[in-house]
Amino acid sequence: MGLLDKLSVWLGRGRAEVTVLVLGLDNSGKSTLLQALRPPDARAPPQHAAPTVGQTQEHFTSGGVAFSAWDVSGAPRHRALWERHYRRAHAVIFVVDSADHLRLVVAREELELLLAHPDMFGRRVPLLVFANKHDAPHALAPMQVAAALGLERITDKPWHICASCALSGAGLADGVAWLARQLRDAHLPHAHT
Amino acid sequence: MSFKRDKKEEEDSGGNPYQNLDKTIILQEARYFNQSPVNPRKCSLILTKILYLLNQGDQKFTTQEATEAFFATTKLFQSKDVMLRRMVYLCIKELSTLAQDVIIVTSSLTKDMTGKEDLYRAAAIRALCSITDSTMLQAIERYMKQAIVDKNPAVSSAALVSALHLSSTAPDLVRRWANEAQEAISSDNAMVSYHALGVVAGSKRNDKLSTVKLVTRLARAPLKSPYALCHLIRLAAQLVEDDDSDAAQPYIEFIECCLRHKSEMVIYEAAHAIVNLRKTARDLAPAVSVLQLFCGSSKASLRLAGARTLARLTAKHPTAVAACAVDLENLISDPNRSVATLAVTTLLATGAESSVDRLMKQISSFVSEISDEFKIVVVRAIRRLCTKFPRKHQSLAAFLAGMLRDEGGLEYKAAIADAIIALVEENAEAKETGLAHLCEFIEDCEHTALAVRILHLLGREGPKSRQPSRYIRFIYNRVILESGPVRAAAVSAVAQFGAQRPELLPNIRVLLARCQLDEEDEVRDRAIYYSAILDTGDQQLINDYIVNVPKPNPVLLEKALRDHLATTPDEPFNLLTVPAEEERKESKEAIVEIEVRKPVQMSIEEIYAEQLAVIPGIERLGPVFKTNTPVDLTEAETEYRVRLLKHVYARHVILQFECVNTLSDQLLEQVHVRLDVPPEYEIKSIVPCQKLAYDKPGSVFVIVEYPCAFLDSLGTFGATLEFVVRDCDPNTGIPDPGEGYADSYPLEEFEMGCSDQIRARAGSDDWEQTWERAANAPEASDTFVLSQNDINEAARAVCEHLGLPKAAVVGDAVKDIRGGGIFRGGAPVLVRARLAAAGGGVTMKLAARSPREDVAQLLLAAVG
Repeated sequence: MGLLDKLSVWLGRGRAEVTVLVLGLDNSGKSTLLQALRPPDARAPPQHAAPTVGQTQEHFTSGGVAFSAWDVSGAPRHRALWERHYRRAHAVIFVVDSADHLRLVVAREELELLLAHPDMFGRRVPLLVFANKHDAPHALAPMQVAAALGLERITDKPWHICASCALSGAGLADGVAWLARQLRDAHLPHAHT
Repeated sequence: MSFKRDKKEEEDSGGNPYQNLDKTIILQEARYFNQSPVNPRKCSLILTKILYLLNQGDQKFTTQEATEAFFATTKLFQSKDVMLRRMVYLCIKELSTLAQDVIIVTSSLTKDMTGKEDLYRAAAIRALCSITDSTMLQAIERYMKQAIVDKNPAVSSAALVSALHLSSTAPDLVRRWANEAQEAISSDNAMVSYHALGVVAGSKRNDKLSTVKLVTRLARAPLKSPYALCHLIRLAAQLVEDDDSDAAQPYIEFIECCLRHKSEMVIYEAAHAIVNLRKTARDLAPAVSVLQLFCGSSKASLRLAGARTLARLTAKHPTAVAACAVDLENLISDPNRSVATLAVTTLLATGAESSVDRLMKQISSFVSEISDEFKIVVVRAIRRLCTKFPRKHQSLAAFLAGMLRDEGGLEYKAAIADAIIALVEENAEAKETGLAHLCEFIEDCEHTALAVRILHLLGREGPKSRQPSRYIRFIYNRVILESGPVRAAAVSAVAQFGAQRPELLPNIRVLLARCQLDEEDEVRDRAIYYSAILDTGDQQLINDYIVNVPKPNPVLLEKALRDHLATTPDEPFNLLTVPAEEERKESKEAIVEIEVRKPVQMSIEEIYAEQLAVIPGIERLGPVFKTNTPVDLTEAETEYRVRLLKHVYARHVILQFECVNTLSDQLLEQVHVRLDVPPEYEIKSIVPCQKLAYDKPGSVFVIVEYPCAFLDSLGTFGATLEFVVRDCDPNTGIPDPGEGYADSYPLEEFEMGCSDQIRARAGSDDWEQTWERAANAPEASDTFVLSQNDINEAARAVCEHLGLPKAAVVGDAVKDIRGGGIFRGGAPVLVRARLAAAGGGVTMKLAARSPREDVAQLLLAAVG
């Protein structure tokens, strides 16, 4: 990992944090997920998360990339505010409650709106989808979620879906590692050659 | 020397770095916030500029611009720089009222407010409370409760003050935090304790019983915080004022006890409260002696407080203040001019006639050095002197005229003009000199409003003077030199001379003819109007349209005209239907109240016009003719309190039953009134009150049509309140499930009298002529024997029946009541009554003249 270490030192010093948007319907687990991503010492005592009003801001590091994550409320009346963040987002994390079969269509609709927005369309912004709450009974498999969201039709962005459980933290590291890799590739294409 | 030079250089080079900021450039700069990493220094500077612009206010942000700036600002939450974060809070607070969607920072702020960084927490609470609306409050309630009892005083204070602000929008919610606030009262920190008391007292403002409990409890266990103690004194003083009985004695004792507190602030507050209470001079002695001590203090602020309070006290208890004369004499030469002014004016008010000249000399030595505010104090003092010592008017008027020539703002000039006008009106001897001073003043007056007022006065008083032609020259100069409004006022004033002094009429005609060529429409219109009226030579016409013009209440006139345009724009508008402006009540001024609590003077019709607007079809009834003062239909301390207001219209009367439910565990629904009307009356419609919650007044309106004949309109109404009761939780006001039960509550009977339907006024000087002129109108007269034994009492009772003010009564042994008025529908009526004591009883001869005979008869019937 000598190369990677060097890379991360170089990245950490030379580049600022990457801005990543965390989106998804209300009660999909965005705030809990970010809570689990924080370094262990900064983690608040586990508690039942209250619905976010508006937005909050988290910092975490993974795979040598410093993330500045914007957790934006998913409540219907606040979804219109998402687009205010699109322009400066380097990556998007879309969280889906895989046990909420009924509202998958709503999530799909919101995702389509997001992808079609002028600030997003055509940009190579990595999209990471978490099929959250995969431990819940009746949870759909990640592939089923991907199909339900119509991810296969996305051509202008790299995307990845992985199952996760924000409460236990399972699956999060994998997903974020993919994201870190994507971002490194995008911003440092020569690092691999 | 070098210091001086430095200072000068600074002044030269310095200036305001934020001058000439441009809104669009700054909004451009705000985009810089989106960059990462954030540069705290640069961003703080931009935020400062935004704040400066917002507070300057000359370049207003549109909603869209504010929202842009706001969202850009929210991006700065990613920086951890403490100073920058605090600037962000300030900016959020300022933008919260302008921008949209400000709630999006709620979670960011709650995070900061509950976080570890103490520097963030207080400011985050304040910002949070400024962005939340009542719907979001529930979400932050838990955090607020925690913050109120936080051990960090800054956090606790911030939460309490925010709660105080929120209580204006969501009083119920804040009331639920009272327990936490209660706990915070006993905090060791002076400010926290004070703020907590403010919140607790604010939440109990409408609940007298618990306020009593609160004050009693805290008075027994004295607070440590002097601020909180001051607030407590105010609360106690309020309780004493509301309740004059012996029950208030413990509060008075508490306040007096505070006079011996070690903090000067508390001592002053207590003295101030005692002085404010309506008490006899003897009870004031301890407070006055404290104020006297203050006058001798080495601190200027204390001297000012002492002198100022004593100055205000002079009006109420001059004797109490006279005892402090020696101390006040010492203050005349005080280096602080404000203190000196107050001392001199107080001495003027309490002193004897002989000392006036000496004191006036003192004042004139420093009058040019004091601020306008204190100059007004001096002017008011002189004005009172004019009333007190009429013989001194010569020197006082000269002094006022001298002040009038000095520099000063409108308010100051207006105060002087007021004083001279009062002098002219009260003192016949001073009239000529006073008017001459005013004439001189308008020659060089830059305030339009003031010039117009003085011209009006000259028009009214000038014609009655010995040499009216003198004033005409001054007035006509205005026509040549001044702006439009002043010219118009001058034309009206000139016309007054023409109307009242026939010997001047030819000259006036010439002047008015010249004014008809004016370039301003209003001036021309007035000139033509007055010339036409003067040309008719009809004394009656001239009197009605130039000399004694009724002035309708402007607010009601506007409303009536608007209604008229909305309903019947084709018919001519009848000016008589609008209530005339009431004579300004004896100006209470600030003298009686030592604290300046000036309620906005509104006529009763204006107050209720808005409430009446809810009635469907109200505009069809025409303009409101008169609203009578409210009558209580229940005893004071009953379950439901009901007050009746009679809004009289030309053909209808609207009975407004103002109900208050004083039971906290009941919710009344579908409240309406069952009315027993006298014969010939007809109930047109009822607007019930759907819901009557605890302590929230609600009104039931009943529209009743008057009988066709005026004579049938006297009668007695019976009324019963009917409603559905639902029991509810006293704390939340949420009704228990299930149906309520119907109930009723009897109300006292009430009358529809003559005084309700007439807008009466006392007879003026020329009443005799008016009465004679109405000689051919139908007259009704009769002789009555009154039941009262005392002639004064009898006269008062008659006035009350007819709706006449007490001023209508003249004469001593034989009382003469003269008055006139307008009956609803617009019929004028004149009334005269002679009362004489005859063998243990009082006999009265009453005569009424009106073009409508039935109105005259009704007046008689009302007394009989």
